[in-house]
Amino acid sequence: MTYDMTRMGLVWLSQLLTVAVCSAIDFDHEVVPILRTHCGKCHSGVDAKGGFSLNTRELFLESGVAEPGEASESHFLDLIRSDDAELQMPPPNLPRVPADEQAVLVRWVDAGMPWTAGFSFAGATYTPPLLPRTVKLDSASDANPVDQLLQQYFAANQLTPPDPIDDAMFLRRASLDLVGLLPTPDQLKEFLADSRPDKRERLVDSLLDRNVDYAEHWLTFWNDLLRNDYTGTGFITGGRKQISGWLYRALVDNKPFDQFTQELIAPPSDASRGFIDGIKWRGTVSAGQTNEIQFAQSVAQSFLGINLKCASCHDSFIDRWKLSEAYSLAAIYAQQPLEIHRCDKPIGAQAKAGWLFPELGDVDPNAPRDVRLKQLASLVTHRNNGRYTRTIVNRFWGQLMGRGLVHPLDAMHTEPWNADLLDFLGEYLVETGYDLKAVIRLIATSEAYGYRAEQLQDDPSNETQYAFRGRRSKRMTAEQFIDAVWQLTGQAPAEFDAPVLRGASDTDAPSISLDGQWIWGASAKDGQAPPAGERLVFRHVIKLSGPVATAVAVVTADNDFELYLGRRRVASSSNWMQPQTVALAPHLKPGDNEVVIIAGNGGNSPNLAGLYFEARIETKQGQALQIASDESWQYSDKLPRGNREGRLGQIRGPWESVVALGRPAVYGRVDAFVQRGLSMGGSSAMVRASLVKSDFLMRSLGRPNRDQIVTSRPSELTTLEAIDLSNGQTLASTLKAGAGRWADPERSTRSVCQELFAFALSRKPSEDELTVIEEIFGDQMSAESVEDLLWTLCMMPEFMMVR
Amino acid sequence: MTDPSSIQRREFLQKLAVAGATTMAMGAPRAMANEEVEHPEPTADSCILLWMGGGMAAPDTFDPKLYTPFEVGMPVEKMVSTFPAIDTVVDDIKICEGLENVASVMDRATLIRSAVQPDLGSILHSRHQYHWHTGYVPPQTVACPHLGSWMARVLGPLNPVIPPFINIGQRLEGVGEKEELKAFTTAGFFGSEYGPMNLPFPNEAAKSVMPPEGMTGGRFANRDRLLRRLVDRSPQRDFLSDYHQRSMMRSMDNAYKLLSSPERAAFDLTQEPKESLEKYDTGRFGQGCLLARRLVESGARFVEVTTEYVPFLHWDTHANGHETLARMHQEIDQPIAQLIRDLESRKLLDRTLVIIASEFSRDAIIEGRPGSSASDQATHKVDKVGEMKHYGLHRHFTGGTSVVMFGGGVKSGFLYGKTADERPLVAVENPVTIGDLHATIMTAMGISPKTGFDIEGRPFYVTQDGTGKAVKEIFGA
Repeated sequence: MTYDMTRMGLVWLSQLLTVAVCSAIDFDHEVVPILRTHCGKCHSGVDAKGGFSLNTRELFLESGVAEPGEASESHFLDLIRSDDAELQMPPPNLPRVPADEQAVLVRWVDAGMPWTAGFSFAGATYTPPLLPRTVKLDSASDANPVDQLLQQYFAANQLTPPDPIDDAMFLRRASLDLVGLLPTPDQLKEFLADSRPDKRERLVDSLLDRNVDYAEHWLTFWNDLLRNDYTGTGFITGGRKQISGWLYRALVDNKPFDQFTQELIAPPSDASRGFIDGIKWRGTVSAGQTNEIQFAQSVAQSFLGINLKCASCHDSFIDRWKLSEAYSLAAIYAQQPLEIHRCDKPIGAQAKAGWLFPELGDVDPNAPRDVRLKQLASLVTHRNNGRYTRTIVNRFWGQLMGRGLVHPLDAMHTEPWNADLLDFLGEYLVETGYDLKAVIRLIATSEAYGYRAEQLQDDPSNETQYAFRGRRSKRMTAEQFIDAVWQLTGQAPAEFDAPVLRGASDTDAPSISLDGQWIWGASAKDGQAPPAGERLVFRHVIKLSGPVATAVAVVTADNDFELYLGRRRVASSSNWMQPQTVALAPHLKPGDNEVVIIAGNGGNSPNLAGLYFEARIETKQGQALQIASDESWQYSDKLPRGNREGRLGQIRGPWESVVALGRPAVYGRVDAFVQRGLSMGGSSAMVRASLVKSDFLMRSLGRPNRDQIVTSRPSELTTLEAIDLSNGQTLASTLKAGAGRWADPERSTRSVCQELFAFALSRKPSEDELTVIEEIFGDQMSAESVEDLLWTLCMMPEFMMVR
Repeated sequence: MTDPSSIQRREFLQKLAVAGATTMAMGAPRAMANEEVEHPEPTADSCILLWMGGGMAAPDTFDPKLYTPFEVGMPVEKMVSTFPAIDTVVDDIKICEGLENVASVMDRATLIRSAVQPDLGSILHSRHQYHWHTGYVPPQTVACPHLGSWMARVLGPLNPVIPPFINIGQRLEGVGEKEELKAFTTAGFFGSEYGPMNLPFPNEAAKSVMPPEGMTGGRFANRDRLLRRLVDRSPQRDFLSDYHQRSMMRSMDNAYKLLSSPERAAFDLTQEPKESLEKYDTGRFGQGCLLARRLVESGARFVEVTTEYVPFLHWDTHANGHETLARMHQEIDQPIAQLIRDLESRKLLDRTLVIIASEFSRDAIIEGRPGSSASDQATHKVDKVGEMKHYGLHRHFTGGTSVVMFGGGVKSGFLYGKTADERPLVAVENPVTIGDLHATIMTAMGISPKTGFDIEGRPFYVTQDGTGKAVKEIFGA
């Protein structure tokens, strides 16, 4: 039995591993206090009596008094144990090291004297600057400042700049990073054909101009950072509020980051209040997790890269923050006097409102709460608060380059690997009027952004030294992966969960003129009220001269509707006041396309009923169409028979001309929604994963429960994820349904592969790859074969990585 | 002179470092530095947690008190137990009527009657379940791992193709408080590698380890082969880090191994002989017990089987307590006893720790514990029991709870702790906190209660602050 062998082997191994990870000696918490108390006075910082300094592990060992792993060989322990007044340490006038603490030191030495990387008894070797700093650039150079600073860095560190990547890879990288979507085969073709020297810059600009796509991609990052979600703990008892609507709009409008921050910290309305209110749990909560303390932790982590979680319980052992400072920040938010608790026990003192960097000014503890919050908001976004600007530009560098200038992202007290670059970007943010897109643009248009990604041989989480050798590839987020699969298969859902109004900015949308009329059947003739419960089927044919580039429709009906295209249900709603925005492109083909809408009137007695449809379509040849419901539409009162699982049954007519109602004033209230929906015309309009509640597959792929702030997503693919990807029903049925779009008896395997590779991987298949695929599937691919190929492409590391 | 033992030790640690790096994908959470301490010798290799989600009333299950049958108009004070006590095979242990089969295997069990939970102000299932499963009271500043994830992280899988943490019977979608359930059904800061494999419907578990529905084994194998060949041939190969490609393909490979391994038969209840299936099949919980047995036979590390927590259903009796519990007894009695017998006859019980537990107990009068200010959540507040639906224990009680453990190194036929004979039914002897209970479970599995990881620069231990103390008295023959 082979299995028993494995089992025994693993038992043995597991025991070893248990020893490895268990029962830690905790250098920071156990060892440091002892050494500091008993030895530090004479042997740390600038003091090195008798030539002995324990500032760093290296210095400690250099002295020759300690032998890692061998307490019995370590002379300093003899000195500590000694009764001889001549020899003993600390000197006889000072207290002895108690026996239990001696035992800790013995254990520590025997364990090899583990030392926290970077720790020094000399105090922090690096103190992060608070003030912003202007970095001087070579005024003669017109190179991107990022590149100028990196050239200096490469020269100083004797590093060779990495090679640039080709256009196709650049397109894929920029598209996934900036709008979270795969470039379509058409976009790829167009970009490769473009011979203008500044085409990469133009691409970055055009991606950033896609306001809706940009917003719906970066929503994921911000939801993580501000722990906003559409479902989760706390909502069930009303202990939590979303900021989704506010956040969505702020991203579409690229709200200046200072204003963005101020509206979160001192909310002008309830729309952005959820961030500071946090999650209210029912029942008693430990002192370290009250809403006031949550406020302090969230503001410090999200905007200042400060982890106050330690200092919420006791003075931090790992950075400079003290319990009293965490409570002062919390007290700004507190409505009641806030009693300071150390490790959950009151210490008999009240917190006084105050913030973390009083050198920039402070809040007035006696002012009312709203005023205090406003004061805090001004202080966080203070012109001289370099920590604030550095924190956010560092996060954006991390998003675009795979690793922060300061790492980890939430330990902003750590030394950056390139302070000039960090400081420059921080000031650039301010100079551009806190324009986050400008920062992204600056980074993404640098040569450095187009460098070949760093080649890693080992797990980077174990690295102790870092040097910039090009961007670090990231795994797609759960949302990027799902979006990409939906792009490839056309299987994005018709509806979404985020309570947001999708569409362009408040300034763009109202300029869209609406062409359509509300329509109904004969029962609405001459201003009559149609009967309650009446259901009618409407139809209209959209004629297209060629393939579609973009297409968006907005539909609503009083009281409900189902929209079918190509006999499939693509949207439905029973709330007429919230028109549905529908991405039509995946459902339209050259030639005639029949739009079928089943609409119903509600109520208990005759009442006004109407259907409204309007679409904007652009074909690849540049033909622009506006289609809207009007008197040319037809209807029938014979409902289709045998509708099943989202497929339209048989419709037979007879067909009559609809009654056009014009634009009744009572329906005017939805015009703004329709305009906003139509304003998405230029974007993909596809429902994005970021707008949908997390599901089993997304959770498996690393979308977090947003109960805590999350600032980076996992880079590893785990076995459980791989199982879900290999046999999970969600992905399997999406691929199956999507395969139908690609399988075509008229097309050769090669031709399907060309297009699939272009879409999924932004490249051509190699001859070698085509041979392998043809060997397995033959010259022609069945739907089943396409499904298997789609799965394979999506599982390739090349696909899952944003390279 | 050098002490030879210390050299051996150094070599040992070096080997260890190699083993660690190659067999465990060390993610961001860094294990705390090593220390040479007495480490518990494991008494169990596998653990099955039989979870009575919703608050299993101890006086109506494993801790019978004064029984008064239903009578119209009976004062609430007389409702202590609503089931009479029955004898078990152990002389001094009695449990409640309805659990006759479990009574017949109590000689393999240690019964702890003195488990206690904190009063969290408002006695909510979600928070107490979170506390029980992670050892930490929510909310926390970091996402805490489930105890199954701790075992997965520290011990790894027992059989490399069987996921180390399998969670049976709990739906996480389409039920009330699902977000609250998800909050602790997670590997938290360990990352999803150590998270649960969720199998809400035991009779559909086989699907989770089979190729997608409608796909033949041949096609599945072809697909896997195509993936490998395309990855090998990709002209982009050199543009991707070896590290990333290797680790991704290793996970894909692990998945493929499980999905095509002989062990996956363990997930398939239809492969169980009919007469054996019938012994378990009282519903989803019973099927779950059978599945757990099959998985442990195949080398599962940690399996949780739940009667499923759905607000106001199953053990969560806010009305009709007695009648509901009669059904619950029926659902759990036979499968649990059969599970113990089967594990024993397969010689697995000695190395498998089976635990029956719940987030708290119930009482007819007291919400929380005596003196608690917790708001009363009973739906029917009456002084006299007027109707049958008022007959039962409808309040949440945290002062004394029963936990049963079988096998895995715990004593047989052993009683530990005691609750008062009269209300309030608080633990009066040897109270066992959640921290101590976790320490006991982890100790049995060979994990020190002080096991810690460095999370965001802070130490984080398997029992809160590393303070949990194993109940030593329950170990032994």
